[in-house]
Amino acid sequence: MNHVLQAEKRKGLRLSDLLVTILLSLALGVVYHFWSSVYDLFKPLFFQADELVYGVWFLAPTLAMLLIRKPGVALLAEVAAAHVEILFGSEWGVQLVLYSVAQGLAAELVFALLRYRSFKMGTAAFAGAAAALGSFAVDVYFGYVTDYTLGMMLFKYVLRIISSAILAGYLAFALAKALEATGVTQLLRPVTQKDYEALDHD
Amino acid sequence: MIELLKPTRQTVLLRTNPAIKLVLFVALCLVTVLTRNIDFAAYQALTYTVLLFAFGGFPVRKTLLLVLPFGFLFVSSSMTMILFGKGDTLWWQWGLFRISEESFYRGLHLGFRSIAFAAEGLLFVSTTPSVKLFYALMQNFRLAPRFAYSFMASIRLLPMVWEEFLIRRQALQVRGITVRGKGLRGMAEHVRLYAVPLLSQSIRRAHRVAVAMEAKQFDGGGKRTYYYPSNVSWTDAAAVLLLALAPCAAYAAAVVFPWFGIADVRYHS
Repeated sequence: MNHVLQAEKRKGLRLSDLLVTILLSLALGVVYHFWSSVYDLFKPLFFQADELVYGVWFLAPTLAMLLIRKPGVALLAEVAAAHVEILFGSEWGVQLVLYSVAQGLAAELVFALLRYRSFKMGTAAFAGAAAALGSFAVDVYFGYVTDYTLGMMLFKYVLRIISSAILAGYLAFALAKALEATGVTQLLRPVTQKDYEALDHD
Repeated sequence: MIELLKPTRQTVLLRTNPAIKLVLFVALCLVTVLTRNIDFAAYQALTYTVLLFAFGGFPVRKTLLLVLPFGFLFVSSSMTMILFGKGDTLWWQWGLFRISEESFYRGLHLGFRSIAFAAEGLLFVSTTPSVKLFYALMQNFRLAPRFAYSFMASIRLLPMVWEEFLIRRQALQVRGITVRGKGLRGMAEHVRLYAVPLLSQSIRRAHRVAVAMEAKQFDGGGKRTYYYPSNVSWTDAAAVLLLALAPCAAYAAAVVFPWFGIADVRYHS
């Protein structure tokens, strides 16, 4: 019982939180790496159709946060996932570091604004959309996207935000729910004092 | 994949302290980010590609194989800007497509910069084994050991996830399970059949490894010794010199032999 109380006091990231976050993100990083080819497949569908699947690249921060539920996890997850891509010699190279930090921070911000207490589907969708906005911020500076014609720019980024809300929000939430059903999340969020009190009543 | 990208050649950059090299490459990346001059971007792309051949950790043939996609990268990163960028000197218009002089050069600039980024990234990866990088970050930059060891352990666990993926696929084949539905529904089915078991298994494994590592004080904040000591030596000075000279040479070349002569590719109305 004392041990449980102590565990609850240590709110920071423990080694097991870190390891789970990073391994999860590295596995997703491999998906990220091969996702470029899916992304290219969507290109001929209609103009800018590739943006429809862009949201997968923001899956790591929301999924990790929904599972671990501790500050800093979203940022760490996105950076770790980008690390794999760089490790595999991605053609996008070092600029991915910048993108991942911006995207991870943006997603983190949404959870932080809700004081790390809300882990509903809507929150995840907002976090996904925020990550898309983070990538937009880097794009503005980097790829001069504000120099696109206005209609084109709006079309591209509205598609991306929708895709991120669905894929990084809804899909991540569904995955987290499915993982909760398997019982593994009990390893990550050990029983708290509250759970013990719930048992005391009857 | 990790084995494939293992450096096989000894160069100056391979002997450089990885932490110092990381700082240098982030600086190079920032220089490339801040580049607005098209000639400077083009020469940076050229310089870093040459450096990749000369000082990268791979033999020439393998480097050539890695450099081949650069052409595709150039086209894919410049095309949207060329076709849809703002500009006043109109060259060609057809429906939504609108190529102007400004957008054309801005697109080329983006393409050159993408190649510069890719070459920088490959130059770093091809000369830096990731274990060495994390050891150097712990010793030279005081990265908390729990972060560094979590990364290193996860990289080791990654091949197991891949192996599990193969086992899962075989298991599903043996049971004669076929994916129902096409398109989105098929994709959802794939996620259900593969992602959930693979992710839950990796969470379990990561947790087990973490418990073992905690028991062995891998998360401790106290003083510790390191299996790979990370030192700073004269080789690092050579690397600093080399990587500082490279963008300077590119800049000088852009000033002396300009190809396009556009100082700022951004749109000014």
